[in-house]
Amino acid sequence: MELFLKSLMLGFASGGIYSLVAVSYVIIYKATRIFAFSQAGMLIIGAYVMWQCLIVWSLPIWLSILISLAIGAAIALIIERTCTRPLIGQPILAPIVVTLGIMLLFRGIGLLFWHGEVEGYGASFLPLGAWKIGFMSLPKIQAYGFIVCMVVIALLISFYKYTRTGLGMRVVHEDHLVAQNLGINVKRIFQFSWIFSCMVAVIAGMLLGNIQGVGLDLDANGLVAIAAVLFGGMESFGGAVIAGLAIGIIQIFVIQYLGALMPGEITMLVPFVFLLLILIIKPYGLFGLVRIERL
Amino acid sequence: MTINVDRPCGTFDRNYYQAMEIFRTPLRKFLMIAFIVVMYILGFIADDYILSLLIVFCAFSVGMTGLQIITGYAGQISLGHAAFMGVGMYTVATFQAHLGFNFWMALPLAGLFPMIIGMVFGIPAIRIKGLYLAFASLAAHFVIVYVISNWRSVTNGTDGMYLHRPETLLGIDFMIDKYYYLLVLTITIIMIYFAKNLTRTRLGRAFVAVRDNDIAAEVMGINIAHTKILAFGIGCFYAGIAGALGGGYYEYVNIEWFTLTDSIWYLGFLVVGGLGSIFGAIAGAVVWKSLDELSTLMTPVTEALMGGMAFYASAAFTLIFYSLIVIVVLVLEPRGINHRWQIMKRSYRLHPFPY
Repeated sequence: MELFLKSLMLGFASGGIYSLVAVSYVIIYKATRIFAFSQAGMLIIGAYVMWQCLIVWSLPIWLSILISLAIGAAIALIIERTCTRPLIGQPILAPIVVTLGIMLLFRGIGLLFWHGEVEGYGASFLPLGAWKIGFMSLPKIQAYGFIVCMVVIALLISFYKYTRTGLGMRVVHEDHLVAQNLGINVKRIFQFSWIFSCMVAVIAGMLLGNIQGVGLDLDANGLVAIAAVLFGGMESFGGAVIAGLAIGIIQIFVIQYLGALMPGEITMLVPFVFLLLILIIKPYGLFGLVRIERL
Repeated sequence: MTINVDRPCGTFDRNYYQAMEIFRTPLRKFLMIAFIVVMYILGFIADDYILSLLIVFCAFSVGMTGLQIITGYAGQISLGHAAFMGVGMYTVATFQAHLGFNFWMALPLAGLFPMIIGMVFGIPAIRIKGLYLAFASLAAHFVIVYVISNWRSVTNGTDGMYLHRPETLLGIDFMIDKYYYLLVLTITIIMIYFAKNLTRTRLGRAFVAVRDNDIAAEVMGINIAHTKILAFGIGCFYAGIAGALGGGYYEYVNIEWFTLTDSIWYLGFLVVGGLGSIFGAIAGAVVWKSLDELSTLMTPVTEALMGGMAFYASAAFTLIFYSLIVIVVLVLEPRGINHRWQIMKRSYRLHPFPY
C-alpha cells in the first residue's frame, strides 16, 4: 500500500511535468500544424538559463524567472521568423527535420556554454525538504512542481477561453484560411503560439532541472512527452494534460512493479512501448481529431 | 514520377525503350563507367587514411540509399535508421560469435534481420501515416537500443562486440584494407544498382504514388499498407547491409554509436543531399561523412576557439555546425544538393541564355 501510494504520488509529480511539455507541443501543433520537436531542446535551454541566472549570477528568483521566460520568448520569435515561417506549405518532412535540427542545436548550445555538466539549483528555487503525511513523506519540490504545472496549464486554458487573442487563436486552430478572412493576423497568432509554447517549455525545464538536475539529458523528458501528446490526441489540451499524468503514472508503476523483472533502465522503454500500442490500437489518441481526407 | 524534368527541351522519348533507359546519352554512360573505374583504381593507389574515408562513404551511401527508399521514394519518415544500421552490425557480430558463421553467411542475415524488424515496426502503417509513422520509428529506436544494451547474453550489453572481416576468397586477403575496400565498393555498387532499378519497377512507382498522394494511390489499386511496410523493410535491409559493411571495417561494434542524434543526421543529410534521387542519397552520405572528418580534423581549432577540453568542444561544434547546415539548407534550398546540381547542369547547357 505504501509503495502504491508513493508510486502514485511520484507518478503525478512527473506526469504533471509531462503534461506541461505535452501542452507546449500541442500549442504549436494546433496553431501551425508543425510538430515542434525543438521543445525537447527548449527544456535544456530553460533549465540552464535559470541555473545561470540563479546560481552563477545569484539574481533574485523573480528576476531569474523573468529573464528565463524572456529568453525563451526571444528564441521562440527567432525560430518562428527564420525557421518555420518559410516552411509553411512545405511537405511534412521539412518542418520535422528542421525542428529536430533545432533540438540538436539547443543540445549543442547547452554543451557549448555549460559544458553539459549536471548542475543543481540547491535550495534557491523551490523549497527542499518534505512534508510528513502519516506514514509517508511528500517531497516539497515535487508537490510544488505539480502545483506550478497545473497553475500554468490552467492559466493557458483560461487565456484561450476568455481573452480576445485566445479567441483568435482558437479560430486559427480551426482553419487558417477562415481566420485570415475574419481579419485575424495569422502570422501574429503563430508568433504568439511559439512564444507561449517556448515559455511553457522553459517553465517545464526549470521544474525538471529542480527534480532531475540541470543537464543535457532533460530532452529525454521531451521525447517521453511525445507519447503523452499522442495518447491524448494531437489537437487537445485536456487530452494532453490527462495523458501526461497517465504516462507519468504508468511509467512509475511499471518501473516499480515490473522493473525487477526487466534488466536495465526502462524509463525510456515504457513510454515508447506504450506509444507503439497507442499507434496500433487508437492512433488518433483519446481526444484527437480523426481527419477525413479526400482527393 | 520525375521522368520529364532535368531534360533539355525538345528531347522526347520516341519509344518505350528510350523511356526506360538509365543513361540517356553515351556521354553519361561513359562518365558513369569512368567514375566506377576511378573508384576501383583509387582502391589500389590510396593510402590507409583515404581508404578509411572511402569505406565509410560507401557504407553510409548504402544506408542513406535505404533511407532514400523509405523517405525519398515512399515518403515515410524514419527516425530510427541508425538503430537499424546497428541491428545489421550486431547481427553479423552475434552470428559470428555464437554460431560461428563467417562473414559471407552473416551478410545476408545482416540485411534480413533489420528488414524483418523494420517491417514489424512498420505495421502501424496500416492505420497511420506521416508524422504518426515518424513516432513509430522513434519508438523503434528506443526499443532496439534497449534490447541490444540489455540482452547481455547475446549482445554483450553496452560493452560492444568484436566481429571479423571475411576470410580470404579466391586468394584475396580481406584483412588488408585495400582489398576490403574493393569488396565494400562492389557490394555498394550492386546495392545502388538494385535501388536504382527498384525505382523503375512496379513497386518503385507504387512508392512514389504513395508518397505523392496516398489516397489517390489507394484509388488506383495500390495496397498502401503493404507498400509502406515493404518500403520500411527494404530501407532497413539497406541499413543492415550498410551496418555490416561498416562494422566489418572497424571489426568492433558498440550500441553507443547508434544514437537518436545519428538517426536525425541521417534524415537531415538526406534532405541536404536531395530527396527522391539515388544521387541525392550518395551526396548526402558523402557530405555528412566529410563533415565528420572535417570536425575531427578541426578538433584542435575548435578547442582553441572554445577554450575548452576536446570532449565537449568538438561535440558541441559538431552538433551546432551540423544542425545549422541542415536548418539553413532546408529553409533556403528545400530540394537539396541534387536540385542545385541540376540547376547548374541546366545553366551550363543553356549558357548564354537564362533559359
